[in-house]
Amino acid sequence: MNKKKLLALLTVSAMTASLIGCSGAADGTTDAGSGTPGGNTENASDTTDTTGTTDAGDTTGGDVGELSYTSLNLDDHKDLTASIKFLHHKTDREEDGTMANMIAEFNKEFPNITVTTEAVTDYAEDALLRLSTGDWGDVMFVPEVDKTDYATYFMPLDTLDNLSKELNFVDAKEFGGLCYGIPYMANAQGLLYNKKVFEDAGITEIPTTPEEFVADLQLIKDKTDAIPLYTNYAAGWTMGAWDAYVGIVSNGDNTYMNQKLVHTAEPFTDPGDGTGAYNVYKILYDACANGLIEDDYTTTDWEGCKGMMNRGEIGTMVLGSWAFAQMQEAGDTPENVGYMPFPITVGGKQYVCAGGDYNYCINVNSSDENKLASLVFVKWMVEKSNWCYNEGGYTVVKGGQNPDMYAAFDGCEVLSDQPSLAGEETFLNDMNAESELSINAGGNDKVQRIVEAGATGSESFDDIMADWNQKWQDAQEELGIEVLY
Amino acid sequence: MKHKRTFKEWIKSRDGQQVLVMIAFMIVPLLLLFVFTYLPFGKMFGFSFYNMKYVGARKYVGFKNYLKVFQRDDCFGALKLSLYYMLGSVVQLVLALYLATVLSFKVKGGAIFKGFMFFPYLINGIAIGFIFKFFYTRGFVFDTVLQWCGFQLDNLPYWLRDQSINNFSLVGTSVWRYFGQNMVLFIGAIMSVDSELYEAAMLDGANRFQQFKYIIMPSIKTIITLNVILSITGSLSAFEPPYVITDGANGTGTYFVVMHEIAHTQQKVGLASAMAIILLLIIFMVTILQKLFFKYVFRNAEDEDPRAARKRERALARSMKKHERK
Repeated sequence: MNKKKLLALLTVSAMTASLIGCSGAADGTTDAGSGTPGGNTENASDTTDTTGTTDAGDTTGGDVGELSYTSLNLDDHKDLTASIKFLHHKTDREEDGTMANMIAEFNKEFPNITVTTEAVTDYAEDALLRLSTGDWGDVMFVPEVDKTDYATYFMPLDTLDNLSKELNFVDAKEFGGLCYGIPYMANAQGLLYNKKVFEDAGITEIPTTPEEFVADLQLIKDKTDAIPLYTNYAAGWTMGAWDAYVGIVSNGDNTYMNQKLVHTAEPFTDPGDGTGAYNVYKILYDACANGLIEDDYTTTDWEGCKGMMNRGEIGTMVLGSWAFAQMQEAGDTPENVGYMPFPITVGGKQYVCAGGDYNYCINVNSSDENKLASLVFVKWMVEKSNWCYNEGGYTVVKGGQNPDMYAAFDGCEVLSDQPSLAGEETFLNDMNAESELSINAGGNDKVQRIVEAGATGSESFDDIMADWNQKWQDAQEELGIEVLY
Repeated sequence: MKHKRTFKEWIKSRDGQQVLVMIAFMIVPLLLLFVFTYLPFGKMFGFSFYNMKYVGARKYVGFKNYLKVFQRDDCFGALKLSLYYMLGSVVQLVLALYLATVLSFKVKGGAIFKGFMFFPYLINGIAIGFIFKFFYTRGFVFDTVLQWCGFQLDNLPYWLRDQSINNFSLVGTSVWRYFGQNMVLFIGAIMSVDSELYEAAMLDGANRFQQFKYIIMPSIKTIITLNVILSITGSLSAFEPPYVITDGANGTGTYFVVMHEIAHTQQKVGLASAMAIILLLIIFMVTILQKLFFKYVFRNAEDEDPRAARKRERALARSMKKHERK
């Protein structure tokens, strides 16, 4: 009898406990299902926004015809009332007040739209996790999501046709003819150098080939006290920056990165004419092998290197144009920081790859009012905030002003990567994940390997490239991707 | 109706109240344990059978992820690095045991020493990482100190760059961090040893080492076993020093760092989950092996301690009785 009672009591308490669990979840901001990091389609779509005021019957959001970037007139919505949240990765701009100033400017025109911002330090990872919970706010920067999943999470902003008439670089987050993201600024891929160091070393002309560049690094080592090439090995992500030169910069082909690369059998083979991905990474290997990098690369310091670049203790650094403004701000001699095209010449011509940085996107599950307010905010940020110019970015608005730093790019051909072919949108992401080379997607350790091999002589450069080719081919086989090139 | 009333009565009775209180106290920790430990673990176990990313579709692949873990060089290659950390944990335990023995007798300034040596354990692991990153930087703290001692900078190795010693450098940080905590645990255990035993041993002419071997060691063997198991498990799952100090690069990527890389950069969540499950099995195995090993090691030591011998005899008698009953 006693045992029966105990059993009954246990059942009751278990049921009560599960009830408590339910109500606890309901009180919280997310529904219980979204707690799992799976983030499959159901989870994302049944996260309902309780702050919404319109009933489901007359929702019009999500349809590009009703709410679109190009047809939106900012002046029509001056007294829109809403409260939106913007999730971004620019922690430095959050801290130095730039973000708050921009929001204040925004509120002069739209006094009733309250914008709360949150800067996330480890954005690439955190944003994905938050996305999978569905509860992240209204505006964010698109993290690494497969193109086929865009519509699950984000509101389409406009058609590609309409948008590309007004803005540059909008095709990166395009799927099925609709754009889900607009870049807040664009980067042109070149490399940073210190003008004074180049002068002291007696370099008068900017190098245009890998041989000239390595020879110039040697000159810097011989004639000055500066570190010729600062690798920023320890920070990790700074090494991944080398991937940006695979594609347009090293072969002048704007369809390579998103269309041909996945079908290429041996992307890392030496084409023999000083071009291609092989020669991009070869520069790094040669610099390491000849001791043209920092003495102890395992203890490099990213924050510290900005000042060193500014003061002329570093000759060159391979990073996107976004880094330029930070290097200038880091010391008393901003005029010495220069930016030049990557030293590879393809068929007598230097190419520059320009492309959008992080892209604004809007939560598809936000209420209609929040969607409208978010679109107003995004449009204002893109066109009126001047953020892009202030960061030293390549202009996103067509015909916009470019900062002076791009002067050295005169005479180079500026191209941007074409989007992937219809039906192959996920191929590059899949290949990157399967091969674990993660080109342009956080593949830092593979570039770190080049530094280790170059500096210690543990592996020859050709062995590494052969290994990468092998991994690439294995992934093609695994995923059943046709080899065309 | 009748049943319900009896239940009501029962719940009001002393027995019922006892059970109620028991459950009321248990339910919160058990619920927390379930929601934050077993549920995520179950989920992860499920993930390990899928080819999946954090977002997007999943594909069931059966045991393929487990096979891959065994086929890949980097997964099991990373386990070799655990040997460095195991070596480190031996050094750490010996050091902790030695200092604990010394400090549990009357030593001048013993409390201060204890405090200083325990202090690193209180610092956050990430902060320790940053401290040691600068500590090992060429020409910084460590090199400067060694130069005071008469070393030439040119003869000193690059503590983190040189692949033959960088793992030792990293292990050093974890020894520095954890030996104080081990020591405090040991001191606590040694304190509980009856001091009359030392007197008796001294009268019998035992020296300090013999006292240690025959009195202290057997008395604190439980805590030694626990510390060894924790240290070995810890060295199998070393993460913070390599992740923060070297980012797992330059041949310092331990199993956990590789797992993190696979889960978060490559986003092969299924594969990483399989790695975690395999590590769990390895840890189980190692723990069982250690248990057996200690049983063997302490078997002889126990005979020397009369109290323990008596205790063991009693236990033996009890288990014999049990057997007979069966």
